[in-house]
Amino acid sequence: MDPLIVTQILNILFGVTTLAMIALGLAITFGMLGVLNLAHGEFVMMGAFCALVVDRAGAPFVLAVPLALLVCGGVGLMVEMLLIRPLYRRPFDTLVATWGLSLLLRKLAEAGFGLGFNSVSVPLAGTATLFGADYPTYRLVLIVVCVAIIGALFAWYGTSRAGLKIRAMVGNPDLARALGMPVKRLATTTFVIGSCLAGLAGVMVAPLVPVHPYLGLDYVIKSFFVLVVGGLGSVLGVVAGTGVIGGLDSVMSAVFGSTQAYFTVLVVAILFLWLKPRGLFSHG
Amino acid sequence: MIPISFNTVSGGYGSLNVVQDLSGEVEAGKVLCVVGRNGVGKSTLLKLLLGYLPCRSGEVTIGGRKAGSMAPEARRGLGISYCPQERPVFDDLSVSDNLALMVKDGRLDGYRRFFDLFPVLEKRLAQRAGTLSGGEKKLLSFTRGLAEHQPAVVLDEPTEGVQWENIQRMAEMINGRKAGGTAFIVVEQNLSFAELIADHYLVMDHGRCVLIGSCAEIGRADIVKHLTV
Repeated sequence: MDPLIVTQILNILFGVTTLAMIALGLAITFGMLGVLNLAHGEFVMMGAFCALVVDRAGAPFVLAVPLALLVCGGVGLMVEMLLIRPLYRRPFDTLVATWGLSLLLRKLAEAGFGLGFNSVSVPLAGTATLFGADYPTYRLVLIVVCVAIIGALFAWYGTSRAGLKIRAMVGNPDLARALGMPVKRLATTTFVIGSCLAGLAGVMVAPLVPVHPYLGLDYVIKSFFVLVVGGLGSVLGVVAGTGVIGGLDSVMSAVFGSTQAYFTVLVVAILFLWLKPRGLFSHG
Repeated sequence: MIPISFNTVSGGYGSLNVVQDLSGEVEAGKVLCVVGRNGVGKSTLLKLLLGYLPCRSGEVTIGGRKAGSMAPEARRGLGISYCPQERPVFDDLSVSDNLALMVKDGRLDGYRRFFDLFPVLEKRLAQRAGTLSGGEKKLLSFTRGLAEHQPAVVLDEPTEGVQWENIQRMAEMINGRKAGGTAFIVVEQNLSFAELIADHYLVMDHGRCVLIGSCAEIGRADIVKHLTV
């Protein structure tokens, strides 16, 4: 196969899997808790800054993972308890509250690190040869890790008892309460998992993009498009949505450039909102 | 110890009290049937008992302990099972998952008696509960609620949409449990079913109690009089 095509396919794969990681966290909090977390991108940003801190300290890159889980999980926990919990079933209020939170987090990052672009050195620098094409090793590893995390999460959700309880809680919270399920605790856990996923995604992309306080914005917008296209509340929706949005974005970027790609994604999202507002795989 | 009692409870939605100063209790091994026309506050009473709505006044006692402002998930720990009238099952889960949810190891052996009584449930185990008929959902909910083996069971319109032959089996099952000391509060429209199980009646109208007493004191004619006004 032509090495150029292999590279492009890997680029698309990379775009889709990283976007899926970010959209997944958003889909979890939105689909399961009905909370549209506008600050989701800021959790990605915090994860990226965790990578920056670790990098500046000269510590091994992998240490950014526990740090990001700690920071994003901790902030997620506080946010759920103080901000989200009083606002469940009030979608518009949550929207405003999380929007405010996103401003706050961005400004905090700005106060701590400044507005400038920072770079994180790439771990596993160098390239690997795959089907005759040279491709950055780190990106290849990321693709594998993302697929593994997403696959493991879906398998856990679909087959474990905890997953069963969460599905029950999401589908019929009142009945779940009658059965003695700790609905509030499960909701907190779910929100924290969503925050941790965002932080993890932030660590992953940090070495590949300029790290700055506004980093989350771009990702969160694309993640919303994923939910628009894929529909809420199903695994297949997130996968299909990222396939469409991430794939389209990568292909158009490669062929025409990033502005045209963004334009295409916007048009597709609008068409979906217009013609198929519940997405490809909505259920119920 | 009285499994469930409620003393002058009032409550409702918004600023409106749907239920006003209702009192009652049910002893172990007895069934209290709550009857009344649609919209008189029967389901609201149950929601007050279970903690889905706060009591504006009065006190609910479950298993000898005051429930106060306890959440529904905590009240279950006091010894109460609840089968709601609306959305009685987890529609997104399979029938077997609906039942496995309540069993620690996820095995369905404990449901053998119910499957023998309602073979339709066993036939539909792999099916998504949302695809069941209304009556089948009620059977599934009933099975789940009784299989929890709690000292008190609260059923909201358990026979809605269920065919008569299965209604009789439900009554059989309830009467068997009564003998074992389980207390029931049952909201019911079907008086023929109520007559098979009731020890006491609480007849409601406009959120208040209009008639309360044992089935020896209250006949069908007394109840019907209040249902048709």
